[in-house]
Amino acid sequence: MKRSTLFSFILLGAILLSACSSAASRGTSWPGLAADANHAYLANGQFIYAARLSDGSKLWQYPDKAGSQQFFAAPLLTPDGQLIVGSAGTDQGLYSLDPATGATKWSVPFTGAKDRWIAAPLAINDTLYAPNNDGSLYALKLATGGLLWSLSIGQPLWGSPVTDGKLIFITSLDHFLYAIDPQSQKIIWKTDLGGSAAGSPALSADNTTLYVGSFGSKVFAINAANGLVRWTANTNAWVWSDPVVNGSTIYVTDINGQVYSLDASSGKNSWPNVIPDGPITGSPLLTTDGVIVTTESGFIYALDHNGKVTWSTSIGGKIYTAPVASGNLVIIAPLGAQYLLYAVNEKDGSMLPWHFDGK
Amino acid sequence: MFSDPWGFFILNPFTNVLLLIYNLIGHNFGLAVILFTILIRAITWPLTGQQLKGAKVMQDLQSDKEWLDIQKKYAKDREKLASEQMRIYKERGVNPFASCLPTLIQFPIIIGLYQSVTRALAATPLTLLQLARSIYPFMNAAGIIPLNSHFLWMDLGRPEGLPFPGGFALSFLPYGFPTLAIIVALTTYLQTKLTLPPSTNPNDQTAAMNGMMSIYMPLFLGWLVLNYASGLAVYFVTSNVLGIIQYAMMGRVNWRNLLPGGNQPAPSNVKKSK
Repeated sequence: MKRSTLFSFILLGAILLSACSSAASRGTSWPGLAADANHAYLANGQFIYAARLSDGSKLWQYPDKAGSQQFFAAPLLTPDGQLIVGSAGTDQGLYSLDPATGATKWSVPFTGAKDRWIAAPLAINDTLYAPNNDGSLYALKLATGGLLWSLSIGQPLWGSPVTDGKLIFITSLDHFLYAIDPQSQKIIWKTDLGGSAAGSPALSADNTTLYVGSFGSKVFAINAANGLVRWTANTNAWVWSDPVVNGSTIYVTDINGQVYSLDASSGKNSWPNVIPDGPITGSPLLTTDGVIVTTESGFIYALDHNGKVTWSTSIGGKIYTAPVASGNLVIIAPLGAQYLLYAVNEKDGSMLPWHFDGK
Repeated sequence: MFSDPWGFFILNPFTNVLLLIYNLIGHNFGLAVILFTILIRAITWPLTGQQLKGAKVMQDLQSDKEWLDIQKKYAKDREKLASEQMRIYKERGVNPFASCLPTLIQFPIIIGLYQSVTRALAATPLTLLQLARSIYPFMNAAGIIPLNSHFLWMDLGRPEGLPFPGGFALSFLPYGFPTLAIIVALTTYLQTKLTLPPSTNPNDQTAAMNGMMSIYMPLFLGWLVLNYASGLAVYFVTSNVLGIIQYAMMGRVNWRNLLPGGNQPAPSNVKKSK
């Protein structure tokens, strides 16, 4: 065989091998996480897990055996003691579980949507507002999961809705932020975000302004009453996460890994060069000392109010999911790490001596 | 680049060309998949031609008297048989790898095409993030996403199925009646059957294996389509139809294979290579 032919075979083999390896590492999971004072609730792959935060042991898992479900959306703990989880699997079911036992609470899951559940729903009083990938917002009876009404918005809904007590605000991959009146079940206004939005908007403390980022590499401050844009701030890349409001400061991250500290009244960024390490898709977690961000490279960073790193910890794997607080603990759900859950102390980043592996 | 040569050389360029077509034709992903498949088939046309030519030469050799004689004569001496085969290859100017190399080159292209369709559909958060990184800066990713995945009666990001009449449901067909899976299986069967070379020997193991492939391959692809995004099904159908057309244009379609017991030797009009 000629040397050039041999070389061609080797090159071709190397490229094909890299195709196989990239396919192997390309899982489609996207962990969702919630926590209360004593437990963490993790949506991971084909299961929902409840873990005790005291020792990392498993409280329960749902379902017992892998089936047609796959879970991306963060579980929602409702005020009336339910854990609502939506499946991104072929069953397309929305389930109510008992947070203490993992037993189903509704007699039947809601399966009336046409597609998968990517975002966590919102519970207001006795109604659940659940956004679906089919582009519709479903209003269900919280107690039974029965359908009250649905509103077709059009394109996939990947962000959880938020409310000011009157309207429901929700982003869509169709580039718009919508305000919906649950009483009339109508869209009151919509505002173009210049790109898809996969995160939720954040409301100011006085409920007058919404802050939201988009794939158009922009952050918007929007009048909650009429949808008019108060200001826009440019970012260097797509904003995937939810902005976080801390008084007069808005913390935002982008998928290039930059963290922004924006003035709530003008949008001016006071952290021009805070780029810890690796892309950030999870929302920042507000702490008393600043914010905690997690990066795709598997690191957790605590930043003070000046954007200075106060501590950092590596847990490995890739972190796409926003960190969640429980007391003085920060719970992390990485993808592809050795364990499914990690807990670190908020003050110094020291890791708790347990790891949850789902077994 | 060196950490992910597959993405750099194959997957990212393919994904961007697919999205470029999608953008140019007014955001119709189904049509973009069809045009992209035609484009790839056109680019690989000479390779397919070379592969068919090489396969034909090898096939003709299988019925050559001298070739058959040495198979019998040195049936128990594998080493001698190999050296005699090499001698015949050399004398006739036949390269036994002539049909193999073009196939090998096409293989990553086909995988890349399949993966780029899946990636562009970006039906989950992780795949959307991967897509965001694949799109070249000049492409205005924010303007393209989300892709309009509706094509004819299908949502190309989901498995296809038409609703059963009267709200009838089957648990093993959660998406309804699988029209596209049937079309994919049928066109795959047709392509495999029509392009099977005629058997020259009733005990030919290759022919037997080809026969098995003509059954299992359509079933396998049909099963894939049942469970994966229907955008892939559009690619499979287009690819199958183009494959049949290409073989027909090269005079290699064996219509008799569609008849019962039709996989018989076809008259050969290819001369020996000297």
